[in-house]
Amino acid sequence: MPSGRFNPFETLLLTSRSQADTAGLLLLAWVMACRGPLNEAQRRHLTELASECRHGHDLEPIFALADRQDFDAIQLAAEVMQKDRGGEQAYPFLRQAIAVSVVDGEPSISQHHVLRFLADLLGVIPSLFATLYAEQAGRPYAVPEDPSRRDYWLAKEHQRQQEEARQHEQDERRREQEARERQEQELRRQRERREQEARERERQRQENARQERAHRERAQQERARQDQAREERARQERQRQEKARQERSNAGQNQRWQQAPPNDARAHRALAVLGLPPGASRGEIRKAYRRMAQTHHPDRFFAEGEARMATASQRFQRIKNAYEYLMRAS
Amino acid sequence: MRDLYQRLGLPNDANDKDIQRAIEACHHNALKADARIVLGDPERREEYDALHGTLRDIGLLRARLGLTHGPFWQDNTANDFSLPPDNTGARHDLLIARVERAVGLHNGWRKWRAPWLLAALLIGATVLGAAAGAALYHYWLV
Repeated sequence: MPSGRFNPFETLLLTSRSQADTAGLLLLAWVMACRGPLNEAQRRHLTELASECRHGHDLEPIFALADRQDFDAIQLAAEVMQKDRGGEQAYPFLRQAIAVSVVDGEPSISQHHVLRFLADLLGVIPSLFATLYAEQAGRPYAVPEDPSRRDYWLAKEHQRQQEEARQHEQDERRREQEARERQEQELRRQRERREQEARERERQRQENARQERAHRERAQQERARQDQAREERARQERQRQEKARQERSNAGQNQRWQQAPPNDARAHRALAVLGLPPGASRGEIRKAYRRMAQTHHPDRFFAEGEARMATASQRFQRIKNAYEYLMRAS
Repeated sequence: MRDLYQRLGLPNDANDKDIQRAIEACHHNALKADARIVLGDPERREEYDALHGTLRDIGLLRARLGLTHGPFWQDNTANDFSLPPDNTGARHDLLIARVERAVGLHNGWRKWRAPWLLAALLIGATVLGAAAGAALYHYWLV
């Protein structure tokens, strides 16, 4: 013999304008609450859904029951649904349930199992349910994962690590960029400072140059005056020396003139060996010698046979002689 | 999903020490490794327990609603969480019985609330009132 009072959900059902709608609302709230207590957005969503059906009461008791996961109420709601909404009548309700569970991304595993239970309850076969799911969620239906297996947790751990690594990388990149910006600013500031210093120095130099020029001009005038006096004296001296030289013999001069030409010809030949025009400086000669010695060194031709090495050795000797002569002569 | 507690022979609210002992005593290597990874970590165990609770509820619901052989109730999950069919616990029947009882009481009251019952009540009240008045009067005077 049943006894006791009507519990809250029974009262709600008895006073509802449509028992099936009320039961459906409770089951939708249950699907939502499988992720945790209902939040404000979920409540608003349920209120919107309720306005389309013939529930006709405040939803607070339903929220409370779903948050508590009240087993008796859920069972009663499931029985009512099973009786009143079988077969094709169940499609709109199942669509709503799927939409509710995919609203925050992939459904949780609990939600998966609850959805499968609801499909069985309303006599919707798996292929049909998969079609409904794909239509509603926009992606194919996947079998729920299994947290009683190691693989699930290892995959989750891996995913978390990757997420962390990505986060870390982003942080790193941001920090790097900041550092680079700071460095650039620093460089720009330094350059500005250097430019300013350069400008300062330039001005200083111009100032100095002007003073220098003024000083030099004054000095030149002074020197010019002294030079005039000295030239006068020198001319007199030279005239005296000229007279004395003419009196001495001029044979020594002739000797020097005869020695010069053969020397010049040999120097020309030596310069030609080094590939230089006549009148090259010592630095140029040294540089040319180094280059030629490198390209004609006999060791470079070791691999190409004895004959090539011998000719190279001759060439090298000639270059060396030319260089030594030029160094000695100049 | 498998029911690790059931497979290890543990109650659902076993403490960590019992779990460790049960895992050590287990002879099935794969189950041992899985249980160590899932139940050894408090966070993972919490998540597992939440899902475990939901699945137990669903198993009971299926048993009471005659859905123990539904196409979506298969493999490990069905093996570990199914209960024998139970036709006694239908809540809707309970609701109907309560409503019937309430209706019976209501109708019974309606049936007895006849005019003569009202008259009888009125007479009874008058007699009681007269008796009380006589008693007060007696005491007042004496």
